[in-house]
Amino acid sequence: MKRPALWLALFLFLLTAALLLYRIVWLEYPVFPTAPGKAWQLTINARVFSEAGEARVLLGLPTENPGRMVVEERISSGALTLGLAREGSNRIGIWSGPVGLEGDEIVYRATILIRPRKAPPEQPPGIAPYPDRFTREEIILAERLAGRWKGLPPSERIRAIAATARGEWKNPPPEMKDLAAWKDLGRTHGREESLLLLLRAANLPARLVEGIPLAEGIQNQLLSWVESWNGKNWDIILPERGEAVSDPATYLPLSIGGIPALRISGGGRSDIRWSLSRQIVSRWSLHWERIRRSTRFLDRWSLFQLPPEFQRTFRILLLVPIGTLIIGFLRNMIGFPTFGIFMPVLMALAFRSTGLAYGLGIFAGILLLGYAVRLGLDKLRLLLVPRMSVILTLVIACFTLLALTGNKFGLREFMAVGLLPFVILTMVIERFFVLVEEAGIRAGLRTAAGSAAVSIIAYGIISWEPLQLTFFVYPELLAAVAAVQILLGRYTGYRLSELFRFRAVGGSS
Amino acid sequence: MIFESLRRLNRAGVLGMNGRNADYIMRYNPRSLFPLVDDKVLTKKLAESFQIPTPAIYYVVDRNGDVAGLREALRGVCEFAVKPARGSGGSGIVLIRDCTEKGYVTQSGEMISPQNLFYHISDILSGIYSLSGLEDRAILEALIHPDPVFDAVSYQGVPDVRIVVYRGVPVMAMVRLPTKASDGKANLHRGAIGAGIELSQGTTITAVHRSMVVSNHPDTGNPVSGVQVPYWEKMLWMAARSFEMTGLGYTGVDLVIDRDRGPLLLELNARPGLAIQLANRKGLKERLEKIDQAPPEVFACPETRVEWARKTFD
Repeated sequence: MKRPALWLALFLFLLTAALLLYRIVWLEYPVFPTAPGKAWQLTINARVFSEAGEARVLLGLPTENPGRMVVEERISSGALTLGLAREGSNRIGIWSGPVGLEGDEIVYRATILIRPRKAPPEQPPGIAPYPDRFTREEIILAERLAGRWKGLPPSERIRAIAATARGEWKNPPPEMKDLAAWKDLGRTHGREESLLLLLRAANLPARLVEGIPLAEGIQNQLLSWVESWNGKNWDIILPERGEAVSDPATYLPLSIGGIPALRISGGGRSDIRWSLSRQIVSRWSLHWERIRRSTRFLDRWSLFQLPPEFQRTFRILLLVPIGTLIIGFLRNMIGFPTFGIFMPVLMALAFRSTGLAYGLGIFAGILLLGYAVRLGLDKLRLLLVPRMSVILTLVIACFTLLALTGNKFGLREFMAVGLLPFVILTMVIERFFVLVEEAGIRAGLRTAAGSAAVSIIAYGIISWEPLQLTFFVYPELLAAVAAVQILLGRYTGYRLSELFRFRAVGGSS
Repeated sequence: MIFESLRRLNRAGVLGMNGRNADYIMRYNPRSLFPLVDDKVLTKKLAESFQIPTPAIYYVVDRNGDVAGLREALRGVCEFAVKPARGSGGSGIVLIRDCTEKGYVTQSGEMISPQNLFYHISDILSGIYSLSGLEDRAILEALIHPDPVFDAVSYQGVPDVRIVVYRGVPVMAMVRLPTKASDGKANLHRGAIGAGIELSQGTTITAVHRSMVVSNHPDTGNPVSGVQVPYWEKMLWMAARSFEMTGLGYTGVDLVIDRDRGPLLLELNARPGLAIQLANRKGLKERLEKIDQAPPEVFACPETRVEWARKTFD
C-alpha cells in the first residue's frame, strides 16, 4: 500500500535532481541563483544650455560584450530629440534640439552586469598604418626608440612602453638628442598620442579609449587611456601613471578609437557628470538577461521568456504549492485547525496587496460583522442560497465602504481590499457560524486563529524573494514539492495535538 | 517530553486521525458506499431488509410544496421527530412530544407553531443541515422514549450507544449521555458525556466529559460507571450485522434503546470519531490489529464475530 506512493515520490525527486543537474552542469546555471551578481548602475546627468538657442550633444554610451551586459536602459531627454547611432564599435546617443540659457536636462541610466569569468574572445586586431598627423621624422624617431624592445614578448613590451610615460627608459637610456626630440613630440601631440605612436612603432595594435573607472563615485570628467593588444586581450595603459593593467573589469569604456565620448556642437555648453553605484536588486535581471540571450531549449522555454507583467504572477504562483504543503504539514502533523485547505493560501495571496496588518484586521473585522449579521439572519429562516447571497452582498458592501474610506484618507491598503477573496470570506463566515453553533465559541475562535496563523506563515513564504527567484529559475522544483506532498499524504502517525488530546488514554496503564 | 507521550500513545495502541483516515477509512470504506449511510432514508430501508429494527418512519418530505402530504401524515400524531436525511452531528433535529391548539411542544418544552415547523422543514429541504450543502429530504419518524436505565445519569434527551465496528467485528463501545450543557443532545462536542462500555459484559466503565475523565454526571451527580446496558447481546449483533448491510469496513453504529421496542438502529457513520478511545481509556489500534490477526472462521457470520469480540476484548 505504501510502496507506490514512495516510488512516485522518489521518481519526482529524481526528476527534479536530473533537471537541476542538467541546468547547472550543461547550461551553466548558478548553483545558488540568489547570489547577487556584480552589477553597476551607471547614471549620466547632463545639463545642456546654449546662447545660440540650439545644441547638439553626442555622448558615448556603454557597449555590450560577453563579459559585460547593458540592461534596463532608461533615457530621459527633456525637450531634446534623441537618436542612437553606431560609430565604429561605439554606441553614440545624439541629442539635438532647441535649448535656452536655462538649459535642459538629459538623463541616461543603465544597469551594467559584469561577468568577470567571461572574457571577451576577440579577434586579434590588425596593425593600422601610421596616422597622417605624424611627420616622417617623428615616425623614424619612434621606430628608432622602439627598436630597443624588439626581443621582448608583447605584454612586457607594453609594460616597458607604458613606463616611458613616466620617463623611465631602462638601460641603456636613449641618446640625449632622441630623448629631447621625444619630449618635444610629447608636447606637440600629447601624452596619449605619443604613446600610440610608440606602440605602433613597436608593432603593437593600440587604440585610444575614453571612459570612467569602474568604481563607485561621481566623475565630472572623462578619463582617457590607451589600450594595447598583448596577443590575448587588451591591456590598459594609464598615461598619467605610466602603468599597464590587464584586468578589463576595472574601467568602463564609453568610446573607443579616438572618438571623444562627449561632443557638443551648435554653440551649446553642458555640465555633465557620470556616476556609478553598486546595484543589489538586479538578481532577476541577471538571470533574465542571460536567458534572453540564450538559444538553448530549456532557456527558450524558461519562465523568463514570458512578458514581464505575466512573470510577476508566476513568481507568486510557483510558491502557492509550498503554501499548501505547509498547510498540510500544520494540519496533519501538528493538528492546526483551519477553515478549509485553500482559504489560508488565498488569504495570503490577498495580503500581498493589502499588507499583512491591514489584511488581517480587515479579515477579522468583516468576519465579526458577518457573524453578527448571520446571527440575525438565522431568525429570518432564509433558505441556503439566498442566505449565502445576503452574506456575500454584505462582504461586497464592506469592501466598497472600505475602498471609499481608503480613498478619502489616502490608504491604498483599504482600496486594495477588492483583491481579498470574497467568496472565501463568505464561506468562512458561514462555517464560523456553524462551528460556533455546533462546537461553541471557543472552537470557532480557535479555528479562526489557526487559519490566521497559517495564512501569516503562507504569506511569509510566498513573499520571500530568494525562494521566489529559486523557483522561477528552477520551476522543476515543483516536482520535488509534489514528492514531499505525497510523502506527507502517507504520514499515518499521530498529530502533535493528539498527544495532548489522548493524554488520558495511555496515562494510567 | 514529546517523544515520551508519543511512546505512551503508541504503547496504548491509540488510533490517530491520520491513521484512521489513511489506514482504515480509505482502505475499507469505498466512496461509492457512502450514500448508504449519509442518507438516513436509505439506511432505514436497508436496515429493514436486514432485520435490524429502526424508529418507524411516518413520512418523508422531499419537495418544498408537499405541505398537504405533511398535514395528512401528521393528522393525529403528536409525538414525532423531524430530521434531515443527510444531517450530521445532530443538527437540524427537532423533537415534538405533544400538540396543543397553539402548536407543537418540543422536547425542551418550547412551543412551535405549525407555521414555524413547516419553515424548519423547508430549511432542511434546502440543505442547510446537509453534509454537502446539497438539497435534502426531511424525515418524520417516531419519537423515541428512552429506556429508564440511563435516567439517573442523563439530563433530558435520548442517550445513545455508539459501537465502532471493524470488518463486522464490534471493536469498542460507549454510551453518550446528554447533559445540561449539551442541551439534551447526545453529542460529545456539545458537552455530552461519553461513558465507555465493557464489550464482554455491557457495563459502563470510565467516562469522559470534554476530554476530561469524570466519574459522576455533572447535572445529576450520580456515578456514571457500573450501569448495565440492557439488550447488550442484541445490540452487538445489530452492530455486527450492519457490516453485511452496508459493506463498509469501518463504521460507527449509533443505537438507541426504546422502552417499548428495545434497541433501534439510529444511524451509521462512515467516519466515526476517535473520542471513544477517551471514553474507554483504551486505544482502538491495538484492537483493530487484533481483529486483523483473527482466524478466518471468526468472520463467518455476525454471531461468531460478536462471540469472538466479547471473548477477546474485555
